[in-house]
Amino acid sequence: MSNKISNDLIRGHTDTIVLNILQQHDSYGYQMYKTILELSEGQYELKEATLYTAFRRLEKEGYIASYWGDETQGGRRKYYRITAEGEERFKQNKKDWEFAKEILNKLIEGGGGE
Amino acid sequence: MKSHSNLDKKINTYLNKEFTGIGESQQLYELKEELSINLKERTKDYEKKGQTEDEAFKEAVSSMGDLSGLKEDMRRLGEDQARKEVYTSMASRVSAAGLIVGILVIVFGALTTLMLSFMDLPSEAVTGPAIFIVAGGALITYSLLTRETSKYYAMTKVRALLYTLAVGTVLFSLFTAFTSGFATGEMFIAISSFMVFFIIGLGLWLSLLFTVRTSRRK
Repeated sequence: MSNKISNDLIRGHTDTIVLNILQQHDSYGYQMYKTILELSEGQYELKEATLYTAFRRLEKEGYIASYWGDETQGGRRKYYRITAEGEERFKQNKKDWEFAKEILNKLIEGGGGE
Repeated sequence: MKSHSNLDKKINTYLNKEFTGIGESQQLYELKEELSINLKERTKDYEKKGQTEDEAFKEAVSSMGDLSGLKEDMRRLGEDQARKEVYTSMASRVSAAGLIVGILVIVFGALTTLMLSFMDLPSEAVTGPAIFIVAGGALITYSLLTRETSKYYAMTKVRALLYTLAVGTVLFSLFTAFTSGFATGEMFIAISSFMVFFIIGLGLWLSLLFTVRTSRRK
């Protein structure tokens, strides 16, 4: 477990991660959970509790919308799709991340050489 | 097939226990359905890896994470829902009472007028009880407009009162027309006293109709 990324570092980016997956294709809870596990090559597990909290928050803010699937066998799935506002938000978050990454690199790695 | 329905039952029991004591809401119902299919799919995936259903279910449940945030969210929604229900049920009781009283008052007014018309009284005395029809009509208007149904939202109280005033004034103008007409036996007096209140009522009504308002249709 020690090689898994610290939760605190990632938690603030949950919304961006969810938006990134939804801007590629619509998805539902468990599929999203598996996609995140796969994308991180098994290094990061986003718990369902956190995921559904993010869904609720993003939907309230209008960045994503939901609809019920038409599965008949064994219960319906609730699918999520990204909205136009969500796509805008994702672009902005990505820009912010690029910027923060650069600064953090300088702050954490830099300055040692004198 | 039997094992699946068994799993469904276990999942239901687990979710109901987790969300116990939280007020019902559409969102809670949907969240439970969402979590239920999620747990089911995850349990099946674990089963494919060779675990028994019991082990698989336990692992699926224990890796859900901390549900307290979601529970808090649902609790708030449930409370809002409960408050709204108390409010609407009270409002609908009030408006139902208004409708019943209004109809009874109208019937009383109409029957009394009818009764008097068969008693050899002067005709101006006959129309007296018709004032009850005016009052009843106003009461019905108000009750209908503030009634919340499955198709319409209730109108705001102020606007409903203005409509009531408009309807009441128009009805009253008819009442004065008949009363003064019969009392004097002159048609022009009937029309002139009718005119005053009718124009006031009509003006009020038209101004309500032409001012912008949000649709009450749901």
